[in-house]
Amino acid sequence: MSEVVHIRELTKTFGKVRALDGLSLSVRAGEVHGFLGPNGAGKSTTIRILLGLIRAGGGTAELFGADPWREAARLHGRLAYVAGDVALWPGLTGGQCLDVMGATHGRVDEKRREQLIERFELDPGKRIRDYSKGNRQKVALVAALAADVDLLVLDEPTSGLDPLMEQAFQQCVRERRTDGVTVLLSSHILGEVEALADRVSIVRHGRTVTTGSLADLRRHTRTSVHVVTAREPEGLARADGVAECVSERLDGQVDTRFTIDADQLDATIGRLHAAQIHTLTVTPPSLDALFLRNYGEMPDAPDSRESLAGAPQ
Amino acid sequence: MNAGLGTMVGIVWRTRRRGIAVWVVALAASMVGTAASIAGLYDTPAKIHSYAEAVTSGSALAAINGHVEGIDSLGGVIQDEFGFLASFLLPLLGIGLVAGSTRREEESGRLETILGGRIARHQPVLAALAVATAAIVATSAMFAAGLDVVGVPVSRAILYSASLGGIAFLFAAYAALMAQLVLHARGVYTWSLIMLTVAYVVRGIGDTTKSWLTWLSPLGWAEKAAPFGDQRWWALAVPIVVGAALGGAAVWLAARRDIGSVLWRRAAGSARSTSLHRQPIGFAIWIHRPAMIGWLAGGVLLTAMMGSLAQQLLDAMAGNPALAEAMGIQDGRPLDGFVAVTQLYLAVLAGGYVVQALGTLRTEEAEGRLEARLAGTLSRTRWLAAHAGVVLAGLVLIVVASSSVLALSTAWSVGSNDDAGVVMTAGLDYLPAELVFAGLALALFGLWPRGFGLTWAAYAVVTFIAFLGPGLKLARSVLDLAPTTHVGNPPLGTVDPGSLTALAGVAIALLLVGFIAFNRRDVPRA
Repeated sequence: MSEVVHIRELTKTFGKVRALDGLSLSVRAGEVHGFLGPNGAGKSTTIRILLGLIRAGGGTAELFGADPWREAARLHGRLAYVAGDVALWPGLTGGQCLDVMGATHGRVDEKRREQLIERFELDPGKRIRDYSKGNRQKVALVAALAADVDLLVLDEPTSGLDPLMEQAFQQCVRERRTDGVTVLLSSHILGEVEALADRVSIVRHGRTVTTGSLADLRRHTRTSVHVVTAREPEGLARADGVAECVSERLDGQVDTRFTIDADQLDATIGRLHAAQIHTLTVTPPSLDALFLRNYGEMPDAPDSRESLAGAPQ
Repeated sequence: MNAGLGTMVGIVWRTRRRGIAVWVVALAASMVGTAASIAGLYDTPAKIHSYAEAVTSGSALAAINGHVEGIDSLGGVIQDEFGFLASFLLPLLGIGLVAGSTRREEESGRLETILGGRIARHQPVLAALAVATAAIVATSAMFAAGLDVVGVPVSRAILYSASLGGIAFLFAAYAALMAQLVLHARGVYTWSLIMLTVAYVVRGIGDTTKSWLTWLSPLGWAEKAAPFGDQRWWALAVPIVVGAALGGAAVWLAARRDIGSVLWRRAAGSARSTSLHRQPIGFAIWIHRPAMIGWLAGGVLLTAMMGSLAQQLLDAMAGNPALAEAMGIQDGRPLDGFVAVTQLYLAVLAGGYVVQALGTLRTEEAEGRLEARLAGTLSRTRWLAAHAGVVLAGLVLIVVASSSVLALSTAWSVGSNDDAGVVMTAGLDYLPAELVFAGLALALFGLWPRGFGLTWAAYAVVTFIAFLGPGLKLARSVLDLAPTTHVGNPPLGTVDPGSLTALAGVAIALLLVGFIAFNRRDVPRA
């Protein structure tokens, strides 16, 4: 499988600030690659280097097998980019902005442009300065999605979109992938990456912390279990693969939470069964858990999912 | 409520203090410096008397510098020499102070953040006016102190400075009102400059015809205070009362209107762009068009006014040789001298256009739009070349159109078109000097974009040297700092083709530095 993006040991400093500190990233042709990390982790800097907007300090960055700094304009014919902070010309209408941006892309599919305008409920005759933040974001998305390109580079593309539009966006990205387009999706919204990405790279402090397919990453993480039983499950805390077991009595029942290796799940459910199950929730490892684990915290009970995924919205 | 106003004044001051301090100190220092040079030049009553005789012969100079009552005194000479520059610099002080902290903040969305706090809707504009007023008072006080040191009687110095401060205050209040009515900070500047131009023209007509029209112009009110004549202190009340009324209207509107609202909003536009917009050059034309039109209007206005006064000025100079000297025309043909002065003004104006137009490139970068442009198939070189090409084409357009207007209006005024060719050539001779501004602007944009403001500083120095340098008999080494000096003052002086080539060489070298540095640097660079 050929690599569309190949980054090894990339570094970049701005004055005294080390923005990138040996970051690596590999995006294969045809995949949706989630590029995940908190604010300030170096995602936008990496993308700017990949676009030849800023120069790499050290290491290698290759786009379609070529140097993005030297061949920026030629390579840009094969990609479309949505910036994290969408900036457009306030005096132009949405439609005019689409055309101006489309002119800088390789080729625009006019039919898809019309469909996208409809799907994103965009009024192309309105001036950019009269658009809301979400609508400006939609203009940038439509411009990128309408372009006939091999690679989409999307830097936090759904900030400012409402949940309905977010759904529409995810559907569009899936369709583009079916068309064979590669997507680099930078985000800090875990749910979005989880819904779209084939593979994920997690970055922190300018370094890649972990990378792999979601299935791969899940294998290294643990499943969370929340169970309410009539009696105390016997020997649970000492069972193979069980950790972080917390048990308390509530209204005459036993409320237990623990995490477990996926391959020990079957045996453990047997023990719970013996203690007479009232309710049982088994949560497979989510990206949140991966994320938290890679950020040095323990994978927590499922409600951390809400707090994390909910926070950015 | 008042606590909110205090906080808001603090915010305006905290966010803009550096710019305000630079404006106030630079303006006061250059005015005092110029006054001191004038005092040095006209150091005997006889010299002052001959100057007064010269400029009052004929009404042409009154149109440009205003009608100065009590011109036969040191203060009168200073007021006359300042007439043209003060008419623009002081209003610009007031406009700039207010526009930057009202509509610009609203446009950027920062005002919304502030109004989310314990600040009432009318307080930001009130605070902007308060800070602007304080800055104007400080400028006036420093200028009055300077005039006193130079030897102007203290009460006259205070009245003169206060009358100038009154102009600045009036335009600050007018800009505050405009900020409530138009959508963009740029619109505030545009409407304020239109008002200023109208005020200047009305004052000019009033002064040449010696009619009541002068009383209709805010610039005329300062003149009617007659600081070096009858000292009409009550005339100060006019700009203060009118300014307070305009400012009050602005505050009243701010308290009642919706945030982000405007009186005049453009209708929805076309959903598709023309094929011109899709080309890099067409898009650059769209971006630079407003600046081009504005400066072109200024150039045409200046040359039309000067040209139509040509015969009157020539008559005045024929009647009084001292006038020619006061205008910096010592020897040679008076008509050539007149064209040379006008072409120098035009060159300074064209330089201002170049700096402003190229400054929008920095704005495009700072706002994040350059990134979007360069993320496509457009290479950096092509992007920069398209913009530089359009700006330079605009420069040629402004110079040629304004020179043509000067040639036509002069021919109309003197009744012969023998000098049309000379006028055009003189305009074109200044192109290499104007290109040096473009080179400096692009070199800074490439090497150190954050320092683009230095281009404006250099422009201010050159403007000062070009306008006042010869009159103040500045040292040769100072005059040589300005590229305009090296053109050779055509058509009065002789143009050395070698100097023009050297200027063009410097300009091209700087342009190349700009292109190379821009190709090698990060975008965006903070």
